[in-house]
Amino acid sequence: MSAKPTSAPSARYLNASSAVARYGMGVLITAIYVFLLAPVVIIVFTSFNPTESNTFPPTGFSLRWYGAFLESSSFIEAFKFSVWLGAIAAVGATTIGFLSSYAIVRFLGRRREAGQSLALLPVMIPHILISISLLLALTIVPFPELGGLIVGHVIICLPFTIAGITASLEGVDEQLELAAMTLGASRLRTLWEVVIPLIAPGLLSALIFAFIVSFGDVYIALFLSGPGRTTLPIEIFSYMQWESTPVVAAITTVQIMLIVTLGLVVERLVGLRKIMRV
Amino acid sequence: MSQSVLHLSGVVKRFGETLAVGPVGFEVQEGEFLTLLGPSGCGKTTTLHIVAGLLYPDQGEVRLRGREITRLDPQHRDMGLVFQNYALFPHKTVFDNVAFGLRMRKVAAGEIRERVLRMLDVVGLPGVENRQPHQLSGGQRQRVALARALVIEPSLLLLDEPLSNLDAVLRKRMRLELRDIQQRLGIATIFVTHDQDEAFEMSDRVILMNVGHIEQVATPEELYDNPTSRFAAEFIGEVNLIDGTVAGVDGGAAQVQSAIGGRYRARGDLASVRAGDEVLLMVRPERVEIEPDAAAADGLVPATVAKRVFSGDLLIFTLRTADGTELTASKPSTQRYRAIAPDSSVWIDLGECRLLPRGA
Amino acid sequence: MRAGGGLFAAALFTPITVVYLVFLLAPIGFFLMMSVFRYSPMELWQPAFTADNFVRLLSEEHYRVIIFRTLEIAALTTVFSLMLGFPLAYFLARTGSIWRGVLMFLVIAPLMTGVIVRTYGWIVLLGSEGTVNVVLMWLGVIDEPVKILETQVAVLVALVHILMPYMVFPLFSSLASQDPDVERAAATLGAGRWRIFFEVTLPLSRAGILMGSALVFTLTAGAVVTPALLGGSKVQMLGQTIYDLVLSTLNWPFASAVAFVLVFCQFSIIFLYLKGGRRRVG
Repeated sequence: MSAKPTSAPSARYLNASSAVARYGMGVLITAIYVFLLAPVVIIVFTSFNPTESNTFPPTGFSLRWYGAFLESSSFIEAFKFSVWLGAIAAVGATTIGFLSSYAIVRFLGRRREAGQSLALLPVMIPHILISISLLLALTIVPFPELGGLIVGHVIICLPFTIAGITASLEGVDEQLELAAMTLGASRLRTLWEVVIPLIAPGLLSALIFAFIVSFGDVYIALFLSGPGRTTLPIEIFSYMQWESTPVVAAITTVQIMLIVTLGLVVERLVGLRKIMRV
Repeated sequence: MSQSVLHLSGVVKRFGETLAVGPVGFEVQEGEFLTLLGPSGCGKTTTLHIVAGLLYPDQGEVRLRGREITRLDPQHRDMGLVFQNYALFPHKTVFDNVAFGLRMRKVAAGEIRERVLRMLDVVGLPGVENRQPHQLSGGQRQRVALARALVIEPSLLLLDEPLSNLDAVLRKRMRLELRDIQQRLGIATIFVTHDQDEAFEMSDRVILMNVGHIEQVATPEELYDNPTSRFAAEFIGEVNLIDGTVAGVDGGAAQVQSAIGGRYRARGDLASVRAGDEVLLMVRPERVEIEPDAAAADGLVPATVAKRVFSGDLLIFTLRTADGTELTASKPSTQRYRAIAPDSSVWIDLGECRLLPRGA
Repeated sequence: MRAGGGLFAAALFTPITVVYLVFLLAPIGFFLMMSVFRYSPMELWQPAFTADNFVRLLSEEHYRVIIFRTLEIAALTTVFSLMLGFPLAYFLARTGSIWRGVLMFLVIAPLMTGVIVRTYGWIVLLGSEGTVNVVLMWLGVIDEPVKILETQVAVLVALVHILMPYMVFPLFSSLASQDPDVERAAATLGAGRWRIFFEVTLPLSRAGILMGSALVFTLTAGAVVTPALLGGSKVQMLGQTIYDLVLSTLNWPFASAVAFVLVFCQFSIIFLYLKGGRRRVG
């Protein structure tokens, strides 16, 4: 998996000095990957476990926990709600993120770094604080709690959509926009005719990534979910505080598959690292 | 008097503390090909962008056919701009690129088609309408960009160094072609370049710019023969500049005692010139006469041939006079001049010179 | 850009400004302000200024322990994340493997699955019948399952796992932007592998280390779900305390004081980060 002897010069140079060091490094890196992936892999195995307890290695193969998941209306409802919420948050965060990113890239000039840091603010604030403050605000201001949940998710998704979209916008030659304007396009029309088509992959990635962030969130939903608006992670969280059967493994396996598939799409489109350079 | 298409007056543009342009004022006449020429950073592109409405000036006024447009959005101006890198929309076909401006003007689909195809014909690119920009060569892209700017039938065509990304051969050909299309359509044009040859070959008039202001506005010939500043003289072509002192002014010319020894007649801006003023004498290399025969050298200044370079049709001489001044002379490579060997003694005559102020 | 863009730019910035001001900064500001309000069981709070909340927080043993435990776990998580994250980031930045893209993806993928999924994974691994116990018994290291869940170790291991990617990305960026020729130059000048690492690579990665550490530290300090599920009531941290105060006792003013301590720790860290970053430039 790691430290493969390769043709790339940098690898050869650095690994040339000592075989011991090279294999030491290989073992270390492999161990780190095992550490990173073990909890996720174990869940997938456990979900096919025929018995009640979370044991490993599994004693057989069974789909009974997937059946249990499908029969549990609370989990199914939570799953559906999470998808719905993720979709709305993704559209909101991508739209606002696009407008802000465009303004940051094209209009801030030398203050751009500062603007970008401000836009990324929600990553630097513990999400529990964001969510608890929103809850407090909702006790004072008559604003629907569902609205609070959506806004909260939009806020935590914004840094990621902005990071991704500004990276995409950097690849757009400003002269194309100037050309469109001299040909008679208004600024809005220029966005629609020139900018958006050119960064379409970036926008789609932002959309998907925002969905992923929203779907995985616990902290915002921790305070802002309630009857009829419980997200999947919260449903799992409250379930796990009382019991822990492989039905959770089955649900989370479904979630892992969904997320990894979406992640692969983003990787294909623009590369995940662009979005993660927060 | 012909009506001016564009009128710029007192235009000033600052970027932060730096003065980028100004104050600058000029007019473009109907059908005229006007070039903004100058080194990079002289403000010529900024000026063009002010004309196009991509930048607003801090002071001054821009008028198009008498209408004030100083702070009008670019999309409401009636101008076609061709960018240095062409700025073709990479996600649209050639047809859609050229049709863009017409669509923005809500021209009917049938008419768009007709006008786009006709314009592609005019720029010499029939049949490429369904291609993507990346499938075209540099020269072809340039023509598509031109077609896109022209198809909207603008009052003014703006060209921002459109030839600088082409290779040398293509560049020469496109100069002629561009000029040809411009004359056929009779469209007033502002052309921005740092290349003196382009400016001379294509323009009706040239505006020479330097550090944000206009040095001189003149026809190419006038600019070459009668530069009004040292910068203009040195920027355009090769030049010899010799120190001198004004001995007297009579009629339309001054008598100047030169550092190399001779006394020459010089024309120029004589309004403020007095006897005793320190000035510069300018003479183009091809105007420097070389006399190898001592017998015919009466009254001429002696010099030594320090270097002789053969470049095919021309011989370039470097001549050193007794006071150490080096002059360049370029002469046709005829038998008479080929006979002049390096290190030989010759006599030189500058004829009538151009008088320039000392200093800047 | 450029001409007449001012209004347009303002329009583009309006949505994010409204969202951040109205739904992020104003509520947080109000919540933190509440730390100096008096608690009232009937009206939740009274707008009467008092230092009681802070006095109580700092004087009661129970809360002092929680504050120190939170700082301790955050510090340890940061250190371990750095120790594991640095080799990983270094490997990813320097490898010429054609699998680099895949290996990068494998670092990001767990992050995307969310906190709950990964915390659950650790419950399965560390439970009394979990993989770790099974393997240890099979190896003969232990005779009967050891209790790992509901200990600080479990919380620490899971937090390192969950937050390490946040350490890896800034490190990767700063390592990848280093010219490998600098290391080669050091080698040709006779520096050994370790000398190169400590005198060239590590100082040049300073910005990444600071950024990653600041991120991991603040994210750990605010953790709720992982300590709640893996540590139970025995490993209470600040985040959980706030959660309980708000949802169980509805003591907003006191919760706010606890949150204030959290934010204070965090801003100290960010301040140190900025100071460290500046020294590097100067």
